[in-house]
Amino acid sequence: MRLLLTGLSHHTAPVEVRERLAIPEQALAETLTALRQRAGADEALILSTCNRVEIAVTSDSEAAAGAVRAFLAEHTTARAGAAGSALGEYLYELNDREAIRHIFRVAASLDSMVLGEPQILGQMKAAYAAARAGGALHGILDDVLTRAFSVAKRIRTETGIGRSAVSVSYAAVELARQIFGDLKGKTVLIVGAGKMSELAARHLHSSGCERILVTNRTHSRAVEMAELFGGQVIDYDGWKPRLAEMDIVLTSSGASEYILHRDELRRALEKRRNRPVFVIDIAVPRNVDPAVNELENVFLYDIDDLGRAVEQNLKARQREAEEAEQIIEGEIERLIGRWKAREVAPTLVKLQQQLEELARAEMERVRGKLGALSPQQEEALAVYTRGLLNKIAHGPLTEIRRAAARPEGEETIALIRRMFRLEE
Amino acid sequence: MTDFSMLWLRVAAVLYLVGLTHSIVTLLRRESRLFQVALVSVQAAVVFHFVSIAEKTFVTRHVPVGNFFQTASLCAWLSAMVFMIVYWRYKFIGLSLFVFPLVAVLTVTAAMGAPLAPWANRQVRDVWLLVHIVLVLAGYAALLLSAGAAVFYLIQERHLKRKQMTRSYLGFMDSERVPPLATLDMLITRSMSIGFVAVTLAVIAGSTWASIEMGVRWISQAKIAVSLITWGFWLLMVFLRVSAGWRGRKAAILALIVLGFCALTWAAHVGLEPLLVQ
Repeated sequence: MRLLLTGLSHHTAPVEVRERLAIPEQALAETLTALRQRAGADEALILSTCNRVEIAVTSDSEAAAGAVRAFLAEHTTARAGAAGSALGEYLYELNDREAIRHIFRVAASLDSMVLGEPQILGQMKAAYAAARAGGALHGILDDVLTRAFSVAKRIRTETGIGRSAVSVSYAAVELARQIFGDLKGKTVLIVGAGKMSELAARHLHSSGCERILVTNRTHSRAVEMAELFGGQVIDYDGWKPRLAEMDIVLTSSGASEYILHRDELRRALEKRRNRPVFVIDIAVPRNVDPAVNELENVFLYDIDDLGRAVEQNLKARQREAEEAEQIIEGEIERLIGRWKAREVAPTLVKLQQQLEELARAEMERVRGKLGALSPQQEEALAVYTRGLLNKIAHGPLTEIRRAAARPEGEETIALIRRMFRLEE
Repeated sequence: MTDFSMLWLRVAAVLYLVGLTHSIVTLLRRESRLFQVALVSVQAAVVFHFVSIAEKTFVTRHVPVGNFFQTASLCAWLSAMVFMIVYWRYKFIGLSLFVFPLVAVLTVTAAMGAPLAPWANRQVRDVWLLVHIVLVLAGYAALLLSAGAAVFYLIQERHLKRKQMTRSYLGFMDSERVPPLATLDMLITRSMSIGFVAVTLAVIAGSTWASIEMGVRWISQAKIAVSLITWGFWLLMVFLRVSAGWRGRKAAILALIVLGFCALTWAAHVGLEPLLVQ
């Protein structure tokens, strides 16, 4: 039985190609059935996300790879008309060990566009559930996938691959946590209700900031945004006098000049008895005078600062990814080792049975010639036979187990089988 | 005519200790309902104190600034008076956190300007000294904790201010493993307050012990002067932090300075051994 993986991803194919091939969730069951028939596959899995479409099958047939390719081509043509057939240059094909490695890497988000992002594991679990529900998983592929999920979990806990923020708005939340610790009970002021500030506010809100105040030149937009988080609206002319209440100030207004100056914030700080203030300025051009950062207990981050944080975090994730790759190599070895051990199990049993059978037959042959034996003598004879058998079996049994763990071990096992006449 | 000035001074010292208690409770509990009681008590103390100074002046026919004890007494009385005026004019309650301990310690010191009763027995003497030492050590431990937190605060603050995004600093530390600034700040404040209370009690216990042990000459020892200066800095630090809102960087640096003074005091006390084996 061979494991085969065919597909394309953001590494190999542009979005125009990926979107043509994407399989909608509701069509998954039907496509799986069609695929298994077409490719003569024992097991099958289809993973279709916005960044990848991959098909994994197990099959004895040599022609399975070609059949899967043809299936994909037909599927594309069926969806995109006659124009969409030339897939060959985008597809990759991986077998056995390579395929396992790929599945592990995808699950652990090492192959993702944003390294370490957590969604892919969920998508993979959904694909697994769909295939399982359709009866398309029951053997090796099932094994590989369940193992992939635990490998992904192990990598997430043992390495820092998913730890640091890799989006600007999340980086802001992480920095806020480094300053305030728990964000519960912190007051946030949002100056300028744009898309970017909405995203950041959403993150801050879900991280525990309970009190969110919004101010905007256009009042109605402020009201709209405040409703999203159950926040309050402040008049655009009235936010500065209330600055002392704010722990976090997020600015993204379209003003062409600074709207928050050093002296204004200094006065607010005095009023709040120097409790720290985190100012996030995601506007371009900037809203906050950079000199604000010179004030003690004020932490000012502009869009570039946050961008740099994200960049650094991504680099850190890459370093963690190297460690993750090593974990994966180890896990592949373990999985294959387990399979091999399972494969040789019948040989081990058969060898023992064979030897016992020989002993029994020989004993029967000579037992008559020995005459009457006392119970002690019977016992001694049995011990002798068992000991001899174990000693003879020890060598080959060990060799079989050892050979099972080696890629070239099959020859050794075949030789032992021939030597002990286990073939017949 | 019998001179009662020392008696009045000692009564004043006891009343000032109520003020000190108010400061301690405020530091530990973050709020105090004791202020009114403390205020009345300190007002009464100011009166007794004045009587004491006036009597001394009358008896000796000059203002009593002839030795350290008398100077400390006058200084304490003036500080209390200044506080009363500031309080009457501006209702600046926060200042009491600073002034009450200062006045109490100065007056307690001054009240030992005349020999106290001798030790009732050796055991009391030893236990008294032990209490002093344990309190000092507890104070130092708390201070060490706040100084440690201060170091991390300064590192983390610099890291955030300079926007250095490298995840690890000091080569081994991950920025995520350092507690947030707010937590460190709280740790510094709490341990500093607790330490201050312990050391204040230790100063009182220590100076009374020394006074009973050595009579009036205890004050002339250099190590005692150093201890009192250290305590003064500690008082200033706690006051600036709790009352004037000094937090963050400045407060962290203050904690480190006080630690330096404590190290000095410790060094000055290394010569304590011969005294103990007396």
